[in-house]
Amino acid sequence: MAATARTLRQRLSARVQAWARPRHPETLPVSFDRRRVYVLPTGFGLFFSLLLLAMWLGALNYNNNPALMLGLLLAGAANTSLLAAHLQLTGLQVSAIDAEPVPAGATLEVRLHVRADPGRARRGLRVQCEDATDVLSLVDGAGQATLSVPTQRRGWLDLERVTISTTRPLGLARAWAYAWPDAPLLVYPTPESPGVPLPEGSGADALARLRRSGDDVHHLRSYRRGDARRAIAWKPSARRDHLLVREYEQPLGAEVVLDWWQLPGLDNEARIRRLARWVDDAEREGRRYRLDLPGHAPLGPGSGPQQRHACLRALALLPASDAIT
Amino acid sequence: MATSLALDRQSRAWTFAAGAVCLLPLLLQLPLRLALGIGLTAVVVTAASWRRPLHALVRLLLAAALVGVVLALSHFAFGRDTGCALLAAMLALKPAETFHLRDARSLLGFALFAPFATFLLDQGPMSLLLGLVGAILALAALLRLAELESGDGRHPTSAWQRFTGVWKLAVIGLPLALAAFWLFPRLATPLWGVPERAMARPGLSDRMSPGEWIDLLNDDSTALRVQFFGAPPPTSQMYWRGPVLWNFDGRTWTQPGWLRGVPGAQVRSTGTHWDYQLEIEPTDSRQLVALDLPAFAPDGTRLSLDYGLYARRPLSTLSRWRMRSAPPATFEPQLRSVLRRMALALPSGYNPRTIALAQRWRREAGDNDAAVVDRAMAMIRGGFGYTLETPLLGRDSIDEFLFEQKAGYCEHFSSAFVVLMRAAGIPARVVTGYVGGYRNPLGGYWQVRRSDAHAWTEVWLQGRGWVRVDPTAAVAPERIYDTLADRAPGAQGLFGALVPRPVFDASDWLRHGWNDFALGFDAVRQRRLLSPFGVEDVGVAWLTGLFFGVSLLALLWMTWLTARAERERDPVLRAWHQLGARYARLGLGREPFETAARWAERISIARPGLAAGLPQLSHRFNNWRYAGRQPGPEAAALVRAVRRHRPGTRIPDESIGDRR
Repeated sequence: MAATARTLRQRLSARVQAWARPRHPETLPVSFDRRRVYVLPTGFGLFFSLLLLAMWLGALNYNNNPALMLGLLLAGAANTSLLAAHLQLTGLQVSAIDAEPVPAGATLEVRLHVRADPGRARRGLRVQCEDATDVLSLVDGAGQATLSVPTQRRGWLDLERVTISTTRPLGLARAWAYAWPDAPLLVYPTPESPGVPLPEGSGADALARLRRSGDDVHHLRSYRRGDARRAIAWKPSARRDHLLVREYEQPLGAEVVLDWWQLPGLDNEARIRRLARWVDDAEREGRRYRLDLPGHAPLGPGSGPQQRHACLRALALLPASDAIT
Repeated sequence: MATSLALDRQSRAWTFAAGAVCLLPLLLQLPLRLALGIGLTAVVVTAASWRRPLHALVRLLLAAALVGVVLALSHFAFGRDTGCALLAAMLALKPAETFHLRDARSLLGFALFAPFATFLLDQGPMSLLLGLVGAILALAALLRLAELESGDGRHPTSAWQRFTGVWKLAVIGLPLALAAFWLFPRLATPLWGVPERAMARPGLSDRMSPGEWIDLLNDDSTALRVQFFGAPPPTSQMYWRGPVLWNFDGRTWTQPGWLRGVPGAQVRSTGTHWDYQLEIEPTDSRQLVALDLPAFAPDGTRLSLDYGLYARRPLSTLSRWRMRSAPPATFEPQLRSVLRRMALALPSGYNPRTIALAQRWRREAGDNDAAVVDRAMAMIRGGFGYTLETPLLGRDSIDEFLFEQKAGYCEHFSSAFVVLMRAAGIPARVVTGYVGGYRNPLGGYWQVRRSDAHAWTEVWLQGRGWVRVDPTAAVAPERIYDTLADRAPGAQGLFGALVPRPVFDASDWLRHGWNDFALGFDAVRQRRLLSPFGVEDVGVAWLTGLFFGVSLLALLWMTWLTARAERERDPVLRAWHQLGARYARLGLGREPFETAARWAERISIARPGLAAGLPQLSHRFNNWRYAGRQPGPEAAALVRAVRRHRPGTRIPDESIGDRR
């Protein structure tokens, strides 16, 4: 019985959702006009209206004018509170949405940027997307909410409709509006864990890297932003007042080639995870790397955030099927 | 359901404060002991449960105890005031379990019923004011709770902002509320009866035990307001007849209930009459008072045999009656034997000295009833005094009064006089009501106060019927007819010495106006709502139509408010958007990514000739928007140009040429 009721409710809510505006994802910025702001009484609102109904009936029956006026004043205020709740949302503009990409499985911190004319105080709006919620308050006509959206798969994240709602001012009614931004949010593939060591570079470069464990350092130079942390020479640095970095005879490990086709025996997803791990590892070690993927021109060689993003993006957006050869 | 949010300190404080202010006017209407008990319980419970909830068992015991006390004080009779007291008791206990958002909200919901319940008991200015303050506080507390619910802790609202918020809500909702108040059809007859009071009734009752009226005689509040049409009677003729008491058991005078069902006795009028409108403050009984003998029973009332007026419903709210009264020439000249026996009945074995005296008078006077009446009046006039300080009388109360105390007030005099008359074989009865009145100089109406309550007698004389005899007036006419300055309104009250009389006059006048304007509004007045406009009787259908019409207007106002919220403030941008909408109707709307110039270019390529002038306009718009953006004549000119522009307004020459 309860189960049927639940499925019925789900179906009903699905119908309502399908009917509610917006019906499709839309490009930002999106303004909430009055046709897409919905207002319905809360449970407390229903209880309150029952109270008012009782008051009204009693007052009419006894022709008790003060009691009637009290009930009507409250009803008027309650009715206006619906309007006020509505006005909290109309005129709101969702101007942008963005997120730093994270590996699948981690939570994506989606930032929602909202603007409005500064005339009206809009405080304590509840922003919700599935289970992620945040409170949005506009200061001087601008505000930002952060939603922690869990991710499961690599690739583009299709954000569900974001509900912006409020029960202010009296808690009698909830006004809400949906924003369905058609904004690309990228989720990187999950890196393999534990990882396997990076493949070696080619030729003499590889040997040079092997001998690195000896102190075959060409010279020390001062730290520059972006230098790998493991390249810092801590002991010499301690003797001076700034950080020093070991500079090897040849760039460390030279160029690592991360090649899709060099990983036979693994299925596609496992390959993607391993390559993602290697990209991270290479980046951490400060080495230049190149990524060869099916259907892509080779990415790199290079290193740094740009290269990493390009590689991880390509990995994330590989088709899911086994059709890749 | 998800568990409800826990309350923080501030929210609880607001909730409890609102609850307390809502409860206060209700407590003021309850009997003092009960009110003190409930108030004290509320304070103690709130203090005890401030940190952690009281044990469920303690709460249950407290609730049971309070309910028990309330029921015991009302003698287990369930009346309107009992219900109100129970509501107050439950409200007083509610803080013990108010720790979550939902509890606080239900507390506030029920707290709003407290002013409502107060208005059922009393509609005085104090109750109105406190009720209004309570309602506003409750709404402010709801505001605070919604704030808590929204979880926005970083931008707290000040108390002042909260009150202005509530104020705005109330003011915007006011037109709708007023429309419903004046125009929503009122019930001409109630759907269900009004439960009567069980504990205390204000004003006159249908019983009288000499020595009991002290509270009433010290109550200076207004009982009646009378507007005379034509000359008013002299104050010494202003006898407002109320309950007529026939039965005496040696201690208490009561009214035989069955007499109410008997139609009025035969009356011959003297020819003079007074027209007036009576405004009766709520008394919670069915009995009306009327000046002397009413000439007819107003709509909704019935005359009983002894010319008491009874309304169909208890007068639990302010009511007004249009009446005509006339002093009788003869009043029931033929007394039926049943009534005669009733009007002569005395409890046996009481007051032997009084009875002996009366019988002696009767022997000496022979058949002359009037002589006996005169003799009794002479005795009272001779050696009796008027005082409100009387000792409690014993078993033979009349004997004690007539032969030992020789001082008392109206209850004693009327009671003793009737017993004397009955013992002498003259039918007599006690009449209670009000005497006199005070003319309010501001309003030109007469005020009759509860302290004007009075008891006098009527004796039945052959040929004349019932004749009014007021033994108290023989002793202390100045006390009775309001001729002493110290009997002016307010003179006896707490502030009597401090506040000048005009203040009291003005306050009663204001109250009279308020009664006229709001409190006395009912189905009858509503039907005559449009009489200033020449419509004498507004039917229910018309009223409903009017109500919906005005409500629609109010709703339109609200819609306009919402529309205004999203309206573009900048007139140039607004006009530009309207222009875009005109093209969008042709399927040529501006895409979000397009600049004004690109858009104009696209249109002129896609539909040459349709948008002549648009490129120039978009250029001007661009210039204005991205260079300077100053309001002024230039902007105004741009607005005019943009507004005037229509797609295809100027048909280019070549197309005209083609058509040729």
